[in-house]
Amino acid sequence: MKTMASSVFKKKKAWNFFVYALLISICSIWLLPFVYLIFQAFRGESSGMVSYILPKEWSLVNFKILFTQTSFLNWYINTVIIALFTAFFQTVIVLSVSYALSRLRFRGRRLLMNMILVLGMFPGFLSMIAVYFILKLIGFTGPGSVPGLILVYIGSSGMGYYVAKGFFDTIPRSLDEAARIDGASRAKVFYKIILPMAKPIIIYTVMMAFIAPWGDYMFASLITFGYEEAYNVAVGLFTFLDREHINNYFTVFCAGGLLVALPITVLFMMLQKYYVEGVTGGAVKG
Amino acid sequence: MASVVLNQVKKIYKGGFTAVKNFDLEIKDKEFVVFVGPSGCGKSTTLRMIAGLEEISEGKIYIDGICVNDTEPKDRDIAMVFQNYALYPHMSVYENMAFGLVLRRVNKEEIHRRVLEAAEILGISDLLGRTPRALSGGQRQRVAIGRAIVRVPRVFLMDEPLSNLDAKLRNQMRTEIMLLREKIDTTFIYVTHDQTEAMTLGDRIVIMKDGYIQQVGTPSEVFDSPANIFVAGFIGSPTMNFFKAKITGNIDKPYLYVCGEEMAIPKKILNEIQIPEDKNVLLGIRPEHIFISRREGIAGKIKVSEMMGSELHIHLSTEDGVPVVIRVPTLDLDEEQKSSLSPHNTVYFGFHQHAMHFFDIKTGENLRKTSSFEKKRNSNLT
Repeated sequence: MKTMASSVFKKKKAWNFFVYALLISICSIWLLPFVYLIFQAFRGESSGMVSYILPKEWSLVNFKILFTQTSFLNWYINTVIIALFTAFFQTVIVLSVSYALSRLRFRGRRLLMNMILVLGMFPGFLSMIAVYFILKLIGFTGPGSVPGLILVYIGSSGMGYYVAKGFFDTIPRSLDEAARIDGASRAKVFYKIILPMAKPIIIYTVMMAFIAPWGDYMFASLITFGYEEAYNVAVGLFTFLDREHINNYFTVFCAGGLLVALPITVLFMMLQKYYVEGVTGGAVKG
Repeated sequence: MASVVLNQVKKIYKGGFTAVKNFDLEIKDKEFVVFVGPSGCGKSTTLRMIAGLEEISEGKIYIDGICVNDTEPKDRDIAMVFQNYALYPHMSVYENMAFGLVLRRVNKEEIHRRVLEAAEILGISDLLGRTPRALSGGQRQRVAIGRAIVRVPRVFLMDEPLSNLDAKLRNQMRTEIMLLREKIDTTFIYVTHDQTEAMTLGDRIVIMKDGYIQQVGTPSEVFDSPANIFVAGFIGSPTMNFFKAKITGNIDKPYLYVCGEEMAIPKKILNEIQIPEDKNVLLGIRPEHIFISRREGIAGKIKVSEMMGSELHIHLSTEDGVPVVIRVPTLDLDEEQKSSLSPHNTVYFGFHQHAMHFFDIKTGENLRKTSSFEKKRNSNLT
């Protein structure tokens, strides 16, 4: 009996060893580019690409160059403005559309949802040329790219209703009904009852809406169309990787990359607790 | 306080399913009316139409004489208690109760006074600072009732409010609702599938099946004079027994032929019923109206004997295979009698004739000539 238990224990130990080894190796592969980026950002001895990872000289010179010799601060401000506006408007639109599709029953509702689903299957870049010409007509390209990009990012917000609608579907309808009988209009039910319960999905929507424009290159490069003052960080930093710049600006590019990742990381860490925590406990019979 | 009138109300869902059919009812001011029936009978749908949570497909609903078909729930001056409590989880008990008053812009002092008063009535004064998640099921249901009573609504709607509670708590809350009714004295419409709740709480009971009203009456009316076999079987526990029977003999000396036995029945009883042409009837008799005798009567073999404390429920089967339930009080039974009522023994039983009900075999309707149901139904069809 004892021998059998010991054999099972050994097998379990071996299996655990295998699982941990696999997880550590996957984790290393995933983390390596980030570690590399951090090391390069603090490398002081040269600014081009090198064949080793650990810097020989640790320095903040790359950050200094970033803010004194390039337009990085300007790009950063552009990106923050675009991301904040997009996050706000997209969240409002996504939550409103999701709530309406979750709660209201109107003619064509299912057709609308199916159409959105089908349209969502087409990649966004298919509409790039049309979007560009429309924005150009109203002066929202080149120097006017910041509002132009905000429009682009919030333009199709309502199409991302799936996750939020799924969340609203889980909130019992009897809460809406109780509030309506208590004297609330549909709008008041939404912002006084449903939204305070929807913190996890609000946080999720805000984060998704903030991250998408923060790292977008494709639309931003097209809409800004070479107008450097209107670049966002992705387009701006990418210019450091041009053939004529890469040897002088590679480590500066890495420093910029680090600063781009920073707010997203901080945002995620700050809002993480809401992500996992629901607030509907006790509302209805469990 | 208000009267509620439902006039030919219908609810037809998309796809053509009709949940409520030609619902006619007049509920008087301060009356406590209970809608009762099995799942899917349309009782909750009717209540939700009164609340304004479901559109009315046809017909009209009047509250205090005013048609409310197109009135928003918030403007109907009603309050509703839901089966699953529906408390706002992000608000404290106090905020939950005050919410409706805040929306109606009642001043703060008045809100405070009303919330404390309602909390006092319901015994939840010490819970006002808690959130719903920190409450037990019974406490949550009290808060839900409190949220409704602070508004002093004209009509108080309750949709199976006790269904989620355990048996003991349900009995306790049922008593509390009866006491509450005396204190707040308004019009109540209560939905339940539990006939005990219906019988104990209601001034009148509306029994529903498949979207139709089967009978409207006081608890004793629906119990003593069920309109049809559905009502007879639904009200009362254990359920009423039914036997196929035939009226034999002549007008001066009538007999009832049931389960192979012929028993004399008083002429008076037959005078009260509309005897069908073929003289075949369905005899209904409640378990407490069957008596066990030593040698005479219909023979039956005991299948199960349930000891309920103060009474025995004897489940037996006649020689024809008709299932029968008999309630026998245990107070006067000695050990020998109790042991004779154990499974596999054969017993003989007879009926208290004054408590017999006769139904039409084809339609299931009560054959009584002037049943109180008919009178009530006529008075409701205004």
